[in-house]
Order: sequence, then structure tokens, then C-alpha cells
Amino acid sequence: MSSRRSRGGVSEEEINELISRLQTLLPSARRRGGSQASTTKLLKETCSYIKSLHREVDDLSDRLSDLMATMDHNSPGAEIIRSLLR
Amino acid sequence: MISLGGGDGGGGSSSSSSSASRKSSSRAKATQTKWRTGTQQKIYGRRLLDALRATGGAPQPRAVKAAADSALALTARGQTRWSRAILLSTCRRRVLVKAGGKIRRRHHRRPAKAAALEPAALKERKVKERLRVLGRLVPGCRKLPAPALLEETADYVAALEMQVKTMRALADALAAAQLSSASPPETERS
Repeated sequence: MSSRRSRGGVSEEEINELISRLQTLLPSARRRGGSQASTTKLLKETCSYIKSLHREVDDLSDRLSDLMATMDHNSPGAEIIRSLLR
Repeated sequence: MISLGGGDGGGGSSSSSSSASRKSSSRAKATQTKWRTGTQQKIYGRRLLDALRATGGAPQPRAVKAAADSALALTARGQTRWSRAILLSTCRRRVLVKAGGKIRRRHHRRPAKAAALEPAALKERKVKERLRVLGRLVPGCRKLPAPALLEETADYVAALEMQVKTMRALADALAAAQLSSASPPETERS
């Protein structure tokens, strides 16, 4: 792994570049106008977005485990799904 | 027709013109488009199904999440730090159980926030604080310097979005299949 370090520190430009790239991934980027946001706000939004995504994964895990528990393995439904994805 | 990979498939538009960021811009496009392609979703969908099937029929929610996460890390092909951290964490637990040891968490001492007189320094401290929180959220990235951390975050966020989309599609498909295949006496509840 090559480490890119110039002058022992990281230039603020690089960080701003990466943060603007991150911004395009966030859902707030799809809003129109006001594309400027301070670094701290963006980082905070990134943190809360990741947390909300984690929560969604947890909820979906709960849901999937419920569904799998009540699924009858002999039912045609399970077979259909498996065969569709083969 | 049930389709798990119904993504928008469009790549994100990253506009960077500076020459110094040529490497990162191409990688940005790769990151954004990689997780949004239908192929990745299909690959992940299959891996997810395999992992779920391997849990043995009636998994706990924790097991489902672990299966989903390790399937996601596999789909990332170990190219990112967070994916390697996830894959390692599943192995590490087994090793620890054998050794009988516990993971000891280093106590996070919050550094005293002295009053900074310059607004620039204060802002920089806040940014560092946010970066630290971010490093805790992304697996395996606690000690990364800022640029690497931000790159990992970008990839992780895109991957998580795909994970959520795929899991939701699977849950909807299962629910729909159960509704259609459930026999009437079972669904009637007095």
C-alpha cells in the first residue's frame, strides 16, 4: 500500500476534493441548489447517513429472519425465488 | 416477474478538473458506478442468498445481518479496507472463542477541548472530531488518515445503499411469495 504523504501532512485541497466527492453520494446532494456545505456539516451528515443505513440493515435483517422463519420450505414461493435467481 | 436487481444503473457525475485529482476522480467514478450497476446487485443478491441458505433455515436477525455483511464484503472482493475488516472479523471471533480471550476495548479518553481562540483552529478541531466519529462507523478504519478514510467512506456508503436495496427487494419478494402461497385456513385469524 503506497502512502501518499506530502510534507508530512495532508493538503486541505485533497480533503476538500474527497469531501466534495462524498457529497455527491449523500442524499442531500440530490437537492437542487445550495450545493455548498461546510466540511463539518457534510461529515456530520455522512455520519448520520451511515447510521441510518445501518439501522435500515438491522430492520431488514429482522424482517428477513421473520420471513425465513415462517417460510415453508416446501412452499412453491421459496422454490420460485431460488429458481429465478439461478 | 420478480427482479432483485432493479437499480437505476446510472453512474454518478463527478466533476473535477484539477490535474492533481485525476487519480481520485477516475476512482470516484469507479466507486459510484461500481455499486450501482445491475451486475453488482445480482452478484450480491446471489451471495446473499447463499449466505442466508447457509444459516440453516431459521436464523436469528443477528445471523441474517452477519450473512448480509459478509456477503457484501465478499462482493467487494477485498479491495477496500472495510471489506477486509468485515471478513476478518468473522474469522477473528472463532479464533477468540478457541483461545478463550476477550476483546478489550481501549478506553477512549476524550481530549479536553480547550478554548481555541482562532476560529480556523476551532473549525479544524471540529472536523477532526467528525472524522474520528466517521472512522468508528466504517469498519476497520479507526486509525486511517483523512484522505484514505474518506475514500473508504465513499465506497462503504455506496455499498451500504446497494445492500439495503437488495435486502429490501428480497424481503418484499419473500413476503409476496408467502402471501400468494399461504393457504386460506392459515391466513384466517379469528
